[in-house]
Amino acid sequence: MEKTTVDLSLLSDVLNEYAAVKGSLITILQHTQEIYGYLPKEAIELISDQTGIAASEIIGVATFYTQFRFEPVGKYLIMLCQGTACHVNSSELILETIKDELHIEDGETTEDGLFSLKCVACLGCCSLSPVMMINENTYGSLTPEKTKKILKELREAAV
Amino acid sequence: MINLTINGKQIQAPEGATILEAARANGIDIPTLCYDKAVEIYGACGLCVVEAEGIPKLLRSCSAKVMEGMVVNTESDRVVRSRKIAMELLMSAHDGDCVAPCQLNCPAHTDCQGYVGLIANGEYDAALELIKTKIPLPASIGRVCPHPCEKACRRKNVEEPINIAALKAFAANIDLNKGESYTPELQEKTGKKVAVIGGGPAGLTAAYYLSIMGHEVTVYDMMEKMGGMLRYGIPQYRLPKEVLDKEIALIEKTGVKLVNNVKLGKDFTVESLKAENDAVIVAVGAWKSSSMRTPGEELEGVYGGIDFLRSVIKGNPFAIGEKVAVCGGGNTAMDACRTAVRLGAKEVYVVYRRTRNEMPADALEIEEAEEEGVIYKFLTNPLSFNGENGKVKSISLQIMELGEPDASGRRRPVPVEGKTEEIAVDSVILAIGQKLVQGDVSELKLNDRGNIEADPDFFTTSVEGVFAIGDATNRGASIAIEAIGEADRCAKVVDAYLNGQSLDTRVPYISKRDEATIDYSDREKASRITPKVLPADVRNKSFDEVSLGFTEEEAQTEASRCLECGCREYYKCKLLNVAQRYDIHPERFKGVMPQKYTRDENAFIERNTAKCILCGLCVRSCKEVMNLSSIALHGRGFTTDVTTAFSLPLNETNCNNCGLCVQLCPTGSLTEKSTLKKQVPLDETYTEEFVDIDGKKASVLVSRYHGIVLRVIPNDEISRNAGLSREDLMKKITG
Amino acid sequence: MRIVIGQGSCGIAAGAEKVRKALLNTDINAESISITGCIGMCYLEPIVDIYDDDNKLTRLVKVSEADAPAVAAYIKTGDKTMIEKLIVTDEDSEFLSKQTRIALRNCGIINPENIEAYIEKDGYTALKKCLCDMTPEEVIEVIKTSGLAGRGGAGFPTWFKWNAARQSQGEEKYLICNADEGDPGAFMDRAVIESDPHNLIEGMLIGAYAIGASHAVVYVRAEYPLAIKRLTNAIAQAQEKGIIGENIFGTDFSCDFMIKAGAGAFVCGEETALIESLEGHRGMPRLKPPFPAQSGFWRKPSNINNVETFANVAWIINNGGEAFAAMGTEGSKGTKVFAVTGKVKRSGLVEIPMGKTLRDVIFDIGGGMKTDKEFKAVQMGGPSGGCIPASLIDTVIDYKALGATGAIMGSGGMVVMDESTCMVGMAKFFLDFTAKESCGKCIHCRIGTKRMLEMLERITKGKGKEGDIELLEELCYSIKDGALCGLGQTAPNPVLTTIKYFRDEYEAHIRDKKCPAGECSDLIEYSIEADKCRGCTLCAKNCPVGAISGTVRNPHIIDTDKCIKCGKCFTVCKFGAVKKA
Repeated sequence: MEKTTVDLSLLSDVLNEYAAVKGSLITILQHTQEIYGYLPKEAIELISDQTGIAASEIIGVATFYTQFRFEPVGKYLIMLCQGTACHVNSSELILETIKDELHIEDGETTEDGLFSLKCVACLGCCSLSPVMMINENTYGSLTPEKTKKILKELREAAV
Repeated sequence: MINLTINGKQIQAPEGATILEAARANGIDIPTLCYDKAVEIYGACGLCVVEAEGIPKLLRSCSAKVMEGMVVNTESDRVVRSRKIAMELLMSAHDGDCVAPCQLNCPAHTDCQGYVGLIANGEYDAALELIKTKIPLPASIGRVCPHPCEKACRRKNVEEPINIAALKAFAANIDLNKGESYTPELQEKTGKKVAVIGGGPAGLTAAYYLSIMGHEVTVYDMMEKMGGMLRYGIPQYRLPKEVLDKEIALIEKTGVKLVNNVKLGKDFTVESLKAENDAVIVAVGAWKSSSMRTPGEELEGVYGGIDFLRSVIKGNPFAIGEKVAVCGGGNTAMDACRTAVRLGAKEVYVVYRRTRNEMPADALEIEEAEEEGVIYKFLTNPLSFNGENGKVKSISLQIMELGEPDASGRRRPVPVEGKTEEIAVDSVILAIGQKLVQGDVSELKLNDRGNIEADPDFFTTSVEGVFAIGDATNRGASIAIEAIGEADRCAKVVDAYLNGQSLDTRVPYISKRDEATIDYSDREKASRITPKVLPADVRNKSFDEVSLGFTEEEAQTEASRCLECGCREYYKCKLLNVAQRYDIHPERFKGVMPQKYTRDENAFIERNTAKCILCGLCVRSCKEVMNLSSIALHGRGFTTDVTTAFSLPLNETNCNNCGLCVQLCPTGSLTEKSTLKKQVPLDETYTEEFVDIDGKKASVLVSRYHGIVLRVIPNDEISRNAGLSREDLMKKITG
Repeated sequence: MRIVIGQGSCGIAAGAEKVRKALLNTDINAESISITGCIGMCYLEPIVDIYDDDNKLTRLVKVSEADAPAVAAYIKTGDKTMIEKLIVTDEDSEFLSKQTRIALRNCGIINPENIEAYIEKDGYTALKKCLCDMTPEEVIEVIKTSGLAGRGGAGFPTWFKWNAARQSQGEEKYLICNADEGDPGAFMDRAVIESDPHNLIEGMLIGAYAIGASHAVVYVRAEYPLAIKRLTNAIAQAQEKGIIGENIFGTDFSCDFMIKAGAGAFVCGEETALIESLEGHRGMPRLKPPFPAQSGFWRKPSNINNVETFANVAWIINNGGEAFAAMGTEGSKGTKVFAVTGKVKRSGLVEIPMGKTLRDVIFDIGGGMKTDKEFKAVQMGGPSGGCIPASLIDTVIDYKALGATGAIMGSGGMVVMDESTCMVGMAKFFLDFTAKESCGKCIHCRIGTKRMLEMLERITKGKGKEGDIELLEELCYSIKDGALCGLGQTAPNPVLTTIKYFRDEYEAHIRDKKCPAGECSDLIEYSIEADKCRGCTLCAKNCPVGAISGTVRNPHIIDTDKCIKCGKCFTVCKFGAVKKA
């Protein structure tokens, strides 16, 4: 996907609030990702400048946590739960189905920019396993058929 | 003060001290890899663990504080087990070669990369001295060695191996041709006496190193001159005896007494020498040609290969006539056939039961012999030597073909039913091997191969105080460098023995890369250079040395091809030091490597994250001491990496070149380049010196090798923060 | 009439919000529709509770949007016939009636977004009692009497930690709640925050008072957006009421409150890593000592407890330590919440007194297996725990008794497995997790878990060799001994317990190259049973490599050389004709 120019002015509120508050790096990064969908290089440089934390350290923190991304994601971010209950209830089949349907691997985005796939730690909806979250919505008791249907609906909704 | 016991020793330590500090202050060493006083305690490596009575968990001594009455054990079984596994795990993820494969494959463990590198830098004296720490006869060996080092040389995966042997001869020639050749510094006399039986490469080498160590050594030899097979088994055109003489003279100069024309079993016995000496080394070699058990071997005109060569060297060549058949495919066969050509034989055949590809002889020898007119009879095997009036007239040959591979991996030759050939000959030379003359060593126990039984690592024999090495022992005749390697190690063992100690000469654990994972695609191709030789039509009539040796330019160009496989930090690698303390087998945990083997160079630092052990010292010192954070830990878990922001090259970051990270790196992940053009791992000496920086006295570390200043490294706050380039710092030392 | 819709994450995922919207579209008075959190009967979501004017409850389960008109009709007419099929069965009701709820006492009952609902349930009376009538020492004494132990996994006595933090010198102290519920398979903390956030706040404020902290911090997983939203809302409400802030209840006690969202790192459940993360660093554990009680957040004395621990505190203050200690066993007091999931019939949250058995939870309350396969094992304690085999089903729920099996109480995840689960695969699953979640600091964990995972991968691919089990065991014990923090020290437990109880399964993989559970794809073969195959061609159409041949209405055949064992044929066959062995 094409990266557009990063509008750094969007960050000023966040930096005004947190740059001087010690221990706020993760919070700043979370807000940054909320704004841009990922952590753009330019934003990291600005955060470094404003907080006085070396850029290498900021990246060190960001790469430690699975939440942060350095590339834009698709319109729909599929987070497939990798919890124990999901594993026991064959989440592997769901993963295969998504990969087959979208032709992407874990961590990748479809060419049309619609879907990104990310395997994530337990979402805590174990009784509905296997589970995935797409953007804000959680989908439970998945089967390959159900998964295909959900993806189809989302694709149609996007067009 | 707090009273505690460590390893049974009552000690006192100030309150608030860590167990590690208390132990070290009392001379008790606890290994660490992530600890340094310069930075905060980190606790990652877990090597400093100790066991304390009454505490169920192992304690990390770098952080655990001393407590009154504490009883600590720093070397309990549980502690050692934990450290051992930690090191096995660490080494299973450490992708690097401690030393180059050439050195490992050399039976004498000669530091090939070291001297090749020094030659590339034009440091010939240093190169020669480095060679002489392992080989006292480098000019001779450089000429005759079948160079197992080159077989292991990784440059073969780019195009061809480095011409290591010729480079060795090059450096040795320079030394021999100087007014004053190198002689080593001798250690203080010990008053101990050692007798060496046999003055070949093994005996001379053992004598040389023992003499340097201060022992009084006498070499006894049955021939009129020293040198053994180097003199009597290798033709003049390959090793001029003047070269050997000069090298032997240098050995003699170290104080070795050389006694010729005396024979074991006749003039003395092992027992009689033992009575007069503190130790005896038996290095009598293998002087009997092996038989082929072919009918007709007893005929006149059928000679043993080494017997024939010796007759030529002694000036009374056997009568060989015009048609000569040499049986065998090794280097002795090559020596024999090429000598026969030089004696004027018109038709010289080499009878070999396999093909050219399987010949054990050096490829260059095979080729040069052919140029000189030798005719190869591949895939033939003598059925019988046929005579007339007791003199050989012809050979019947069985035609062979190659079948399935045998144990050695070479395809086994099998007879082609009913196909034979007969060739007319005037003489036959059997060059298929040589054996110990058993009667000479009747005092020692032999093995079932008929050789002296000697411990392969300790060289001890059935008689206490008597050691045995070389062709006469164990598996029998081999190449000279093998005997030299044994002799070097045996000298160390005997030295220890004379001091009432025992020494294990086995190579301790070292890290080796998985050959299959190495990528050479970024290497530029550059052909191997071979020294020029006399034209074939000149050399086939003369015993003049065939090889003309390297010119200086050739040598430097060839040496520069070295891929520098061995690690530059080998001599001061803390990681290796700790690894060698424990009997580790990281191959148990073989798996993927966490990082790709890459080299990121800036002006003076080279980074290779594949060797990184994530002790964090670089990252922590960059942040805590220098307040720069030019590098940081990125990612997490197995693939955690030390890198710069956005993976920029170091010189595009705020790095101020202080070099502290390199200094603290316990392994070769970060190395500081030396002033040498070709970077060579060398056993440098480091000294602290002081320089003036803007009117302030600043500490620097200066590393030197052989008088050459290799590095000047900032060593205090002033020198680190001065922002001086390495060149500027260097000038302050070298002027 | 009141209509209450369960709106925990599970309920919403099951469609509760759609149901709510559908109900709002009927003629039911919107005022009478409200929400609640998670009652814990997750397998029955979405749940709609209807209280009549006498507060008598009719519970509807598995309600869908399409049911909205029927529900509306019932409310209008009182005619139950339309909704008969939705009314919870007596059997399912037992799932709740057999529980004893303290930590979860308000979950699924009150509206989590309204502080008044909590106050109505005696909310904040315990805090007021502490602040107005008790000294901090007396509070700690009550907690000591209760025998409350850390519910996050280690089971360390809560009073001891509080006392250590209270004794620790320092003007400024921190009370931290660990809501970084990372154990896959555990979700009680999420349920508490989503369903009863004020209970957590009250417990924390009592803790803060006890240790003398003026700052309270909750570290919540970023994967729990609803929990963060409801807790943020609850904090704002409490601030407005003066329950958080300066001079609470008019006393000298002041305490501010802060939420920090985690960013996805399991290791941050370890308290020193959590502190590093709170400070904005990489979540790499610090060496202990010093312990957080001496030097924690910003190097100030800090006390860290888990959500469920705090959720018990207000109840204990109100009911007395003795009441809590009256439940349970000698060494384990009170109740414990379990997240029961996997192949169990009734999955959800179960709170029971300590001292009950695993059988009580899995069979009596959980209803046994949901499949026709035999119960094989239960995984407890997530990646730090272990698999307890069917033969130990009568093990008592008690820190010591569970520890003796090789598993741990842990945070309360209970994943039930039947015969179709491969135990080597299970060990591999957890090692994959810990290897990915290892922070990378210490050698034993960083490289050790990776090497264990590689060994397990080889074994499940049929490339295991003699000696692998022993090597795994050696590595396991060494990692337990040498790793820096709890994550590494407990990472070998899933491997050790599966080897202990299912060694034959490991041996079958290594020696016979067979997976007895039929789960390891490299060790199984698919074939078609000719008598069951109807020749529908569905399998052939779905085979990604064209390994299945056959003509319509004739039995199909799988070419095992071509087969990549993806299992698609097995999944799509409607006649059970594809066999895996």
